[in-house]
Amino acid sequence: MESKRALRIFSARNGAATVTSLTRQRSRSSPLARQRAGVGVMFVAPVVLLVVFLLVLPIIEAIYYSFTNWNGLSSQWVGLATYEQLLTSPVFWRVLLNNAVLLIAIPFAIFIPLSVAFLLNQKTFGWAFFRSVYFLPTAISWVVIGMVSIQFFAADGLLSRGLQLLGLPGNQQGFLGHSATAIAAVAVTFIWSVFGTNTIIFVTGMATIGTEVLEAARVDGATGWTTITRIMIPLLGRFIQFAFVTTLITAFTALFSLIFVMTGGGPGYGTTTLEFYVYQEAFSQGQFGTGAALGVVLFLIVFGISLFQLRLMSRDTSPM
Amino acid sequence: MTAFMGSDFRFGLRLSRGVILLVLCLVAVIMLYPFYYMLHAAFQSFQQFELGRGFSFTSWAQLFSVLPVFRELVNSSIVTLGTVAIILAVSTCGGYSLSKLRFRGSSVVFVGIVATMMVPLQSIIIPEYVNLSRVGLIGHFIGAVLVYSALGSPFATFLMTTYFRGVPDELLEAAVVDGLSYANIFLRIMVPMAIPALFTVAVLQFIQVWDDLLVAMLFLPNPDVRTITVGLATLQAQRIVNIPVLMAGSFISALPAVIVYLIFQRSLINGLTMGMGK
Repeated sequence: MESKRALRIFSARNGAATVTSLTRQRSRSSPLARQRAGVGVMFVAPVVLLVVFLLVLPIIEAIYYSFTNWNGLSSQWVGLATYEQLLTSPVFWRVLLNNAVLLIAIPFAIFIPLSVAFLLNQKTFGWAFFRSVYFLPTAISWVVIGMVSIQFFAADGLLSRGLQLLGLPGNQQGFLGHSATAIAAVAVTFIWSVFGTNTIIFVTGMATIGTEVLEAARVDGATGWTTITRIMIPLLGRFIQFAFVTTLITAFTALFSLIFVMTGGGPGYGTTTLEFYVYQEAFSQGQFGTGAALGVVLFLIVFGISLFQLRLMSRDTSPM
Repeated sequence: MTAFMGSDFRFGLRLSRGVILLVLCLVAVIMLYPFYYMLHAAFQSFQQFELGRGFSFTSWAQLFSVLPVFRELVNSSIVTLGTVAIILAVSTCGGYSLSKLRFRGSSVVFVGIVATMMVPLQSIIIPEYVNLSRVGLIGHFIGAVLVYSALGSPFATFLMTTYFRGVPDELLEAAVVDGLSYANIFLRIMVPMAIPALFTVAVLQFIQVWDDLLVAMLFLPNPDVRTITVGLATLQAQRIVNIPVLMAGSFISALPAVIVYLIFQRSLINGLTMGMGK
């Protein structure tokens, strides 16, 4: 009995030694390691196939077809012509401008949740309830959010009536009737929708800050404001970066349904963003080549943001 | 320290609890208002809605006559559950392989899969659509399920790989010594240990797929396979029904995802923070 156990421990140790040495030097492969590698390839194959055929292949095709005048069936190589056309197209710049306008919403989408997270972090009566309520819109589709939002911004909607109550002129055509107010309405709805997610990110971040740090600050005579700006915000840095990048990517790539329902990209091109323009060009106009080129531009933007995030994350590797 | 600092000083805020509570309540009202509006309008007929008072079920009856609600709820369920099942399967297997069965080039595979998280849906949607229509999968559940699975599995695989890395190697080695095959280690040891992470992946994906419009709209265009989210958007775009009916539709389409959220809120929050990486 005893010897059997000893043998097992010995072989386990031996096995451990083999496993670690093999992961370090791949050249020396035992049958066991080869078997493990074989099983490893088998287990990873499904996800690799899925990703290669449905993500990698289409992005390569999109890049290729962006240099052609593709209509979905046939294509001819046109080189950079599509991109040149885009650069001289006023609509393309209008669309990018709309994306830029939506970026103005991002500081609000960070700052408001951050402030509310500070309040939630005081752990007042019912804070867990409030947290659940704030996070609830995360579960709701943009289609539904957009549907209610239309009513809120309508000519006889809550906002218009509220303004009239304050003695200000309401909005006869509704806020979605003008480009400027329509994009603002989309931006406000966007801020509302990401509020919960960002609040949760910040509350989670604050939970990682030890009470000793705050106690120490208090003993040293730091005032409330100093504690927030000098201690909490720097310690939340990672979380603020994460929320910033996620919100940025959401603004570029996740507002299709909201815009589809709220404004359909209009009036005119008033609320058409890059991602919405891809859809319009390809599936309403049949311009698959232009659509592919727009998709490539969007990909480059998101890729740039992601690289920026990777750099931030690799610079700061402190555990959560 | 002066009296100016106050005794209720905590985490550096000098606001009184009452004021904080008031602000939190106000924010809660802003966040809950759309739900109140939805329900309030849904339980009114159009005339009552115009008047601003009253209670009736007519809008619900109307909704069921203009929108095949049950059919579309079933379609949404098929697509969502099918996607969740595929993602759970491929990401758990993939995560096990990439964390514990490392092979030549497995770190390259891992980086490659993580890199595809950066690909926006709109950038690939056109070739994807053309490819799937070439193989005749437009209008079939499997087409949309495959697209959703591909979109969701990189993040899920990343999450599962990170999770499995936390399992001590000694545990696996002991199991190997005991004569368990790698497939059995996966089924008997890894999967049971990963249940919390599996819940997180499932809940995240359920909500994402249930709420999606673009993929379902393009890949399932026919009425017989249409999902509830698309059905609702189409109803709105046609502008043939009034606000109370739309609100009833909105409510019913949002309900399943809200229920999943309310039950598995914890898993969802975990997933959000796990997304920050380690």
